[in-house]
Amino acid sequence: MINEETLTLYFYDDGLSDTERQQVEAALQSDADLAAAYSRLCRELEQWREPEADPAPAHLKQRWHDSIDKAARAEIKQAARPHAAFHWFSFAWGAAMTAVLVLGIGIGVYFSGNTPVIPTIDNSANGIPVIGEPATPVSFTRGLQLHLQDSQSEIAGLPTDASADRVLLLAQIIEQNRMFERAAKQNNSPGVARVLRAFEPILIRLASDDIAPEDAEALRAQLAFELGVVLTKLAQDTSNETHST
Amino acid sequence: MHFLPKLIFISLTVMFANNSIAQDSADDAEQLKIAALEALMSAPPDRALPLVAKVLAGDSSDEIKSRALFVLSQIDLPEAQTILLDTAKNDSGGLGLEAIRMIGISGDPAGMAGLADIYRNGDNNSKEAVLEAYLIADDTESVYELAANAVSDEEFDAAVNMLAVMGAYEELRKLRDRPGSSESLIDAYAIAGDVESLRELAMDNSNPERQSQAIQGLGIVGGDEVNTTLVEIYRGTESEEVREAALHGMMIADHDEGVLELFKASQNADEKTELLRMLVMMDSDAAMDAIEKALDGGQ
Repeated sequence: MINEETLTLYFYDDGLSDTERQQVEAALQSDADLAAAYSRLCRELEQWREPEADPAPAHLKQRWHDSIDKAARAEIKQAARPHAAFHWFSFAWGAAMTAVLVLGIGIGVYFSGNTPVIPTIDNSANGIPVIGEPATPVSFTRGLQLHLQDSQSEIAGLPTDASADRVLLLAQIIEQNRMFERAAKQNNSPGVARVLRAFEPILIRLASDDIAPEDAEALRAQLAFELGVVLTKLAQDTSNETHST
Repeated sequence: MHFLPKLIFISLTVMFANNSIAQDSADDAEQLKIAALEALMSAPPDRALPLVAKVLAGDSSDEIKSRALFVLSQIDLPEAQTILLDTAKNDSGGLGLEAIRMIGISGDPAGMAGLADIYRNGDNNSKEAVLEAYLIADDTESVYELAANAVSDEEFDAAVNMLAVMGAYEELRKLRDRPGSSESLIDAYAIAGDVESLRELAMDNSNPERQSQAIQGLGIVGGDEVNTTLVEIYRGTESEEVREAALHGMMIADHDEGVLELFKASQNADEKTELLRMLVMMDSDAAMDAIEKALDGGQ
């Protein structure tokens, strides 16, 4: 089965082996529906190529630079510790920067004003009534999915003890969560914004020094479940959109 | 669409777990139920709702029911919102509090309207949960109403704190005339980053205590604009208390350049000593230069 993701990779000539590319080509020739879907996808993706995203606002760039500087300082301090065996921070920072880049692109496009036709997800999919709520850009949804998946894996791998690593990692997740919450508001996704806001008090409790291990475990399980539900719902919405096009 | 087999699997899973047919441990059964609930998000809402409602009405653990409540919050059907509101009103324990949170997540107008009643009639935990639900729903107007109609200082402070966290400048400004509210409001302005309100209070010398608190609040907010204001206040006042507050504000804002500027300009030995001490406390690089110059007999 050739899905939208595979077609996107095929379009960008990226991430597929020669065999996989040949399979896609064969499928496009033999399956008219798939070929039509690919044509639509090409039109959508071409629209993304045309406008060059305006640079992000200066204050936003300054904040990114500040965050990078802070992270660098923290990393230097951590490297100075002789017993630092884990590289949670590097892992978290890598994931966080990936998410920041995705969001940065999204914000750049959002503020560019060059958003005549953006691929969107119809929020009324899955039978959810959203009267008067404009559709959500697909790019935002994909960035959000990435953020939630990263958060899920980072939370699953949180150190069990109340260490500085854990606090730092949670601080990163909280910061990312806030950025996506703001982006959700700007991208006509108040429901997503509410869920992201609901995560923050739990993340803050989880980051507190005096939390009992069993309470931390319970909060972690709760977050894992809620992140999973939201991801499932987002995937379902995306899937419905793909099927309806 | 492969919904039907998935639904059958989910239903069987829930039933098996409910009836203890499975011989797995209780933990495994719980995990299965949780996985089944998560999978329900793939189902059409009208088919998922009865299954979730069944879990809530059954004898599952509170953890499972909490998860079911979250799933309900993601089902945009009036019946789902009704169940959430009923649970929030009628369950006085953890599930009730969780249902309040879920109403905030769902953002359903009817559910949100019901939160005001729960706040009025609830205990402290319920009130706290309602405030958090308003935060989640970004409903600043409802929090303002709670603050404006608070029957105790504790209620007022809690609502004002929440408005601060929500960055609700306008609502906080509307509360300024409430008698005896200045202390918590100034803290709230600082948390919300409302420089304009803080500067207004910091320039008003009719109440030195309030003025000092506002000046320190400016320090919490920080930034170039605030730094300039703090130096101006320090230079412009005749009040020792206000000058000290401005200096503390600069320390909080980490504005060592401003303190150094004041140190260099001062002609008063006592004042210079105090400013130098502040620079040392701020761990400023400039402090070492100033100390070196002082030891050399210069300025």
